[in-house]
Formats: sequence, C-alpha cells, structure tokens
Amino acid sequence: MEKRPAALLLKFPGTDCEEETARALSVVGFHPEIVPFAALTADHVLLARLVVLPGGFSYGDYISAGRFAQLEIERKLGHTLSEFIVDGGYVLGICNGFQILSRLGILPTGSLVENVGRQFLCRWVTLKTMKTNSPYLTLLPPEFELPIAHGEGRFVSRPGLAARYVERGLVPLVYKDAVNGSEESIAALQDETGRVIGLMPHPERVLYREDYYDGDLNIDSPWGWGYYFFKSIYEAVTQTGHSARQIKEEIGALYR
Amino acid sequence: MPESVLAAPYETIPILDMAEADLESLSRSRKLSLGISDLLEIKSYFKSTGRNPTCVELETIAQTWSEHCKHRIFNARIVHRSNRDVTPIDGLFETFIRNVTEEINRDKPDFVLSAFRDNAGFINLNGRLAACLKVETHNHPSAIEPYGGANTGLGGVIRDVLGAGKGAKPVASIDAFCVGMPAASRESIPADRIHPLGVLRGVVRGVRDYGNRMGIPTIAGAIVFDSGYALNPLVFCGTAGVLPVDEILKEVRPELNIVLLGGRTGRDGLHGATFSSASLTSESPTDDRRAVQIGNPIEEKKLMDCVLKARERGLIDFITDCGAGGLSSAAGEMVSETGGRVYLDRVPLKEENLACWEIFLSESQERMVLGVRDEHLDALRNLAEMYDTECTVIGETTDTGSLEVFHQDIKVCDLECEFLHSAPRRTLRSEYRPRAAAASILVPPTDLRAALRTILSDVNVASREPVIRQYDHEVQGNTVIKPLGGLNGDNPADGTCIRVDGSGKSLAIGVALSPSYGVLDPYRMGQSCVDEAIRQVVVAGANPDLIALLDNFCMGNPDDPEELGALVECVRGMSAAAQIFKAPFISGKDSFYNCYESTDGRTVSIPVTLLVSALGVVEEKRHLTTTAFRRANSMVCLLGTTHSERGAGVYERVLGETGGVVPGLDPDRALELYRCFYRCVREGWVRSAHDLSDGGLAVALAEMAFASGGGVEIDLHNVSCDPALSSVDILFSESNSRILFESDVEHLGGIARCFDGLPFSIIGRTIGHHSNLVVRAAKEVILNEPLKELKLPWKNGLQRYF
Repeated sequence: MEKRPAALLLKFPGTDCEEETARALSVVGFHPEIVPFAALTADHVLLARLVVLPGGFSYGDYISAGRFAQLEIERKLGHTLSEFIVDGGYVLGICNGFQILSRLGILPTGSLVENVGRQFLCRWVTLKTMKTNSPYLTLLPPEFELPIAHGEGRFVSRPGLAARYVERGLVPLVYKDAVNGSEESIAALQDETGRVIGLMPHPERVLYREDYYDGDLNIDSPWGWGYYFFKSIYEAVTQTGHSARQIKEEIGALYR
Repeated sequence: MPESVLAAPYETIPILDMAEADLESLSRSRKLSLGISDLLEIKSYFKSTGRNPTCVELETIAQTWSEHCKHRIFNARIVHRSNRDVTPIDGLFETFIRNVTEEINRDKPDFVLSAFRDNAGFINLNGRLAACLKVETHNHPSAIEPYGGANTGLGGVIRDVLGAGKGAKPVASIDAFCVGMPAASRESIPADRIHPLGVLRGVVRGVRDYGNRMGIPTIAGAIVFDSGYALNPLVFCGTAGVLPVDEILKEVRPELNIVLLGGRTGRDGLHGATFSSASLTSESPTDDRRAVQIGNPIEEKKLMDCVLKARERGLIDFITDCGAGGLSSAAGEMVSETGGRVYLDRVPLKEENLACWEIFLSESQERMVLGVRDEHLDALRNLAEMYDTECTVIGETTDTGSLEVFHQDIKVCDLECEFLHSAPRRTLRSEYRPRAAAASILVPPTDLRAALRTILSDVNVASREPVIRQYDHEVQGNTVIKPLGGLNGDNPADGTCIRVDGSGKSLAIGVALSPSYGVLDPYRMGQSCVDEAIRQVVVAGANPDLIALLDNFCMGNPDDPEELGALVECVRGMSAAAQIFKAPFISGKDSFYNCYESTDGRTVSIPVTLLVSALGVVEEKRHLTTTAFRRANSMVCLLGTTHSERGAGVYERVLGETGGVVPGLDPDRALELYRCFYRCVREGWVRSAHDLSDGGLAVALAEMAFASGGGVEIDLHNVSCDPALSSVDILFSESNSRILFESDVEHLGGIARCFDGLPFSIIGRTIGHHSNLVVRAAKEVILNEPLKELKLPWKNGLQRYF
C-alpha cells in the first residue's frame, strides 16, 4: 500500500469539526490522526506533513475566540509550530483554527472580531480566489461557494494593512459580497510561503456533491468544492508533479 | 437503619404520626408535589418497615413518582365522557400509543429496534446502524429564565441520546417554541412574567449557544406565536443520534461500578422534576429560580467526547443521563432491577456543605452515570483525563433489590426498588364536549392581493431565517437537506436531512404543531400533526413505510376534566392517524401544569398542544428532494384533494373569520398517496416538492417560487377539490395530505399513470420569461403579483424582532 502523508488534527476541549475534516483529508489521500490536546507532544507535530486546527469553540471561546487555545499551544509546544513551518510543514486553520493561528502570530497581524451583524451567522458565501502562491487553491476556480458559520469572523487590522496584505499576495480568498464586515472582504489569510493558511469558511462541509445548498450547483462534478481544496493540499504536500490540469482531467474521467 | 445519632447528616421525617392534613402541608413545604393518595401509600410502606423515612428517602420517592419521571397521567385510568358516551380508558399510553405501535411493528418486524424502554427508541437504518430521536420539553425553566432554560433543555436532550443504548452519537438537534404574540403590549403581560419577545430571544440564544458549542447541527424546528402561550411559553428540544445496532441493548448486573462522569455537583437545579410537575405561580420567579439549572456546553462537549470514545472501546456496560431528579433518578433507574449502593461523599462537589439529599437530588448539568466493570476502570479514567473531564466511582450495583445510599458512612436511604418504581396508579375523569359550530363570520368578498400579502408577512408564516442563521446547521458536514436552500439559499425546507456516514442512507426529520386547530377540534389536531410531520419527511424523499413518530404533549391542569378531555381526544386522533400511516411511535414525553396562577387567583392554561416529530429514512441520496422550483417550463402538480377546511387556519386567524372546519384525514387514501409520490421520487420524476400547510396552496406556491428567479402560473380550475369551492378556499384551505411538486413535461405520462385513481392534478407550470405569481380561476386572472414584492414581507416578517 502507498504511504499516505500524515495529517495531524489538534483537538482542544470544544473543538467540533475534527471528524468531518479528518474524513475529507482521508478521502483525498492523507492519513489523518486526531490527537486530543492533553495527549499532544511536540513529536506529533514534527512527524506530520500537515497540521490542522479544525473549527469549533476551543475552551468555549468565552474570552475572545481562540485566545485560550493560543495560550495553551504556546505553553505546551513553545516554538515547535514555527520550527515545523520553517522545515517546510503545512498548517491549515479553519474557522476557530484561523482565529487561533491569528493569535499565535504566524499569520499576518490582525484580529478576527465580532461580525458587523453582531450575531452568529450560518450561511453560504461566494468566494473569489486571489492571485497568490497558495498551494491550497490550485484546483479551485476563480469563484466558488462554501458555507460559513461564525460569530467572530470579521478581519480587522491597523489602517491600511489589509489592503497591503492583498497587494502582497497574502489574501488567498475574499468574500464576493459583504458578509461579516471583514476589511477588504478578507475570508482567508496566508503567510509568505503560502504553506500556512487560515480561513473562515468550511471546506470540510462540502466534500460531496449533495452537500451544496442547491441541487443545481456545480452539477458537473461528483465532488463538492471542499474536495478540491483538500486535494490541492494533498498534491502540494506530495508534489506528484501532476499539473492542476492533469488532476482535473483525472477527476473528470472518474466521474464519467 | 442507622442507630448512630452522631451529627446525623440527614433528618428523619415523622410521617407515621401525621394526619392527612399534616402530610399535605409537608408535601407543600418541601415542594414534593405529591398528592394525598401517594402520601398515604408512602406512609403505609414505612409503617410496614416500622420506621419513619429520612429526608433523602422522601425526596427520592417524590422525584421518582413525579409526573416528570413517571408519566402518571398517561398511565392513569381515565373515565372519558364525550357527549353521552362514557368510555373507560385503561391508560392513554398503553391504549393509544404502545398497543398501536406493537400492532404496527408486527407488520414491520425489522424497522423499530427498540421503543419506550430506553432513553430513546431506535429504528433500523441498514442492519448495522440504528438511529434514534428524542424530544423533551423544558417549559417551566424557560418561562422563568428563557436563556438558561433553553440552554439546559437542549443540553438535557443531548444527554438523553448519549445515554440511549450504550451511548448514541448525537447527529442533529431540533427545537420548537410556542410563545405569545411578539407585539403584545407590555401591559397585557403580568409584571412577574417575561414578555413573549424576551422569551423568544432568550430561548433562541439559549439553543444557539449550547447547540453551536456542542458541534451538533440544529437543523429543524418550529415557532408558533399564539396569545395562549403569553404566560406559559413552551420549549421543545430534540436530538437525533446514531448507534451500531449491536450497542442498543444494555444490561445492569450486580458488581458493576457506578461511575459518575462529567461535571461537578452543586445546588443548582434542586427540585426540577417536582417543580415542573406543578403550575407556575406569581411567586415562581424568585422561589423557583434555583430549580433552573445552569448550562455549560463545553463541560458537556468533553463529556460527550469521552462517552463516545469509551463506547467505541467497549468500556460501557450501562449508561444513563443525569436529568430530572439528578442522581436519585439516574442511579435509581440504573439499579432498579438489581439493587445498588451509592456513597454520596465520593461525589465531586462544586461547593462545600451540601446536605445529603441535595447531593442526591441536584440536577447539576453535564453528568452521566455509567455501569463499568472493574477491568475497564483504568481505561475509562485515562480517557477522562485525555478529554479533560472527571470520572468518579460513586458506588456499585448489588443483588439486594434495594437502593442504599450512604453519607459519611451512615446509611441515609434504604428503599426497595420494587416499591420505589411502582407509583400508585391514578384514576382521572375527563370530559369532552365538541364545540358548537361557531357562527360563521365571513369577511366580505376579499381582496385576494391584500390577503396574500398579509398572510405571507404574518408572524406564523414569515420566513424563520433570522433564527435559522444563528444556528450552525451544517457542523459535522452531513446536513444534505438544509433548513434553507434554493438558488438564493433562503428557501425554507420541509423535512431536513442528515447523511449517516457508513450507511448510504440519510435521516429525514420533520416536526408539526398546530395548536390553534386543537382549540376547535382536538381530535383533528392529533390527526393533522401526524399527517404534517410525515408529509414533511416524505416530501424530502423519505420512504413512507420507514417513518417513526414521537409525540410530545403539553397541557394545563389534567385534574380539570374538560382540559383532560381535549387531551384524550387529541391522543385518539393522533393514534388513529398513526395507524392509517402504519407509523410506529418510538418515544414521547408529556408536560403538564403549564398553567399560571396569578395573584388574584386566576388560572390561565395553555391550549392543549401536541408536537409530532417524524424520523424517516431516505434510502438513496438521489431521492433527496428540496422545496424550490428549479426549472422554467416544468409542470406544477398538486397531489391530494382540497376541501373547504380553513377552520383555525392562517387565513381565518389573520383575517378574523370564524366558522370553518379543521382539516381532517382520509383514512383510505392518505398512505397510498404518499407511497405513489415516493414511487415518482424513486423514478426521478420529482424535481422539487413542498408540503401544503399553514396558508395552504397560496403560501406553498409562493415559497416554491421565491427562489426560482422565474415565475409561475396556475389555474385553480384544474385543482382536484370538492365541488363548488370558492377561490379563497382553494388558495387558503389547509386540507391535509397535499403535496405540490415540480416535474419535467416528459414524465407527465408516467406520473399520471402512477396516480391513476387518486386525487392528482396538473395545475400549472413554471415560467422563464416573467417572474410573477399568476393565478387564474377558469382562465380569468385573479392574481398577478411580482414575486419580488411578495417575498420581501415574507422574508423580513420576523427580522425586526431579532
């Protein structure tokens, strides 16, 4: 059997989305392992190819989202995560994971604060792919839909910074319409390498075609957009050398 | 019993010397909610043992015998009078629910795997996996503290599912609220009650903050606004779960460790079970606040993670939740067949100096009680540490047949399980007098345009979007039919569906409530709720022969023969409908004393209320069907017959008419219609489908068209209906068993053959070149409305309240 690249999913008390994220990772070819934070060691991180911080409400998120998890990671892992990134590791934070990554300071400076609507918001959004070096989006079209579900997803930073992030290619995804008041409609952020990404939308919830909110959406593919998101990472991590186009054709053949 | 007099941690209650009046005042002062016959039964039991009870014993009996825990009204003998007929009913539950279910199950032996035994009943999905659904009410707490009440209402029902079988995995939650009118004036609500809008906002936030944090999608629900709930709101919370079939059976045997897992125990939630078995008074807010528990979803999340892992690893022999009555009820239930000992001083506490009965009775949340073998204890403790939750052995099961409780080495309770679990049966009297036909008040030839607009913006019809958006309905990544869908993502679904990983099937869930029907005709309300709940899941693509039902009843004072009479009629109607659809019941719950006693001695009861939930199986993902029109130039078909049945419906209520008839049910055709519809679904002939309910054809048609971007044209002349029905009737009648669906022209031949001999009509088509809703009556246009204009008030009808 081929050796699958290892994906580590961190589970804090209150993390909710680890199982569906692990399912998506497994479907595209990873070997996912969910590790409760109490059992986590630095070795878990250093032996993985991809570290995932899934969505949820870590420690309840009672003091602003992700803050407690950030402190716990710093306490327990020290610089391990930074070392991992320097060594070429990939880090993905979804929703609460994005909030935690922002606080850890390994993404461009800024905060995810309460939505302008001041309410938790569960809906679908159209996302636009921006020009970046992101390896997470190679198989995705210029516009696609994913669901969001968050109360604190509005990205804010010091005046002018958000626009600079866009210019510098650090913003891989933006909302097409105003959703939560994010500056520059930022839906995702990445580091300079592109290997670290945080995004508010939930690709793991759209693995299959029947996961769309409308039956007529993207009907030519057997998979949902989330599949292509995770498949992109898989291709980047394993560097099969296949071009995005080749992979798209393979997937198409599978469907026919 | 204890000889020791050293600092007794308990008190002895001298009931053996008490006369009836003293017993009753004892029940009142200790909030036991026990009637005189129960008190006398308890006295005679202790007389036979030759001693007085301890406070722990008395409280334990009161909790165990409370209406909340033992469903004593549904098990009571009832002498029911309807007109001149007097019928003895040997238990509502036995007669109308259990017997009917057993009869249905005989014809479908592989469908229901367990019912009424456990925390929740299970249905078979694919031979390997089973699914369950449980719905509970949390009315009394939510009236006093809406946020906390709804919070713990949801938390409680999630634990119910977690304690079903050896620990089912919660996969979806539902909620239904009945509240007073949101625009009610402040003066119309007594100062000690919370305004309906405050209640609504509080309970929505309560469900949101608990459900979202638990990572369980809240996928379906209902909100009913009716002035009858202004003083006593109702809050229903439900959770569905999935479990491997071979993990359903659990058994207690002697020498298991009784393990308490989860949060700590405090003074919160004392007397919840007995409190909810009595009516609210104007003193309730201060007096009963400590009966409302405090929720902590993260505590429960950790507990859930731990339980599910422990079950996967085979560490659990038995499990049940700590709900009403706390440990007394959880441990009491667990050891009811064997006997057992509990040591209260081992229970981890939130605060010091709890009296022993407080520890035993506390309803502190986020706790489960497990039966675990010695050899599994270490593994369970490791898991608890991993998931950051507490695990404590607090006792053991025995073979003595007695529940023994110790505190500081002193035995504070020693009750025979057989006595504890055999609450005396009550006998009640009920009376139903059909309402005399109300004088018919008809609004003069109505302006249909205005009527349609008013109805679409009515609080009971308008989109629930402002609430739904606050609930994460897609976490776990399996919500394949979402509460909102269609091209714009704002079309309301009927049944919502959850894919069950590893089974190839999906669960469809529908809920139905129509309390206004019950005021006029409770029997037909029972029928209608069953039909609507089933219709919702059939419309979503479920197999009509694989649907199980749950019943949740709420009412005021069961000791009032007329109120009880309405309940009896409602149960009869519901039961008859379940037989017609061959749909078994798998669990249910009832809530009484939803009445308010004001300071001037007035009593206000809620209308008799029934919530029916349907749990259906969608066999293949291609059967999943949504509610929005999807193509231009497809045919719009209507299944079922339209009668003049506007009684207590939206049209009557909104326009102030009276005199209509409440929708009934056709016993010969209802199931056949749904089976034929299902055949069309399997053939792939149904593009979209929507059920006709509140507001009838007009509302259903508008809702289907809202998301399409195009228009729709129908002719009422084509609708299969009773002769000489008016346009108003055809548009707004709420007759049951009707489905509106969209199909491509090429399938019409097949569809027509499929419905041969059944009421079925092609009433119009969807339009690409305009976006209006056009209704004709025999070719003459009677409505021609831009859908955009109709949609706005419908979409924003509730927005201003959030």
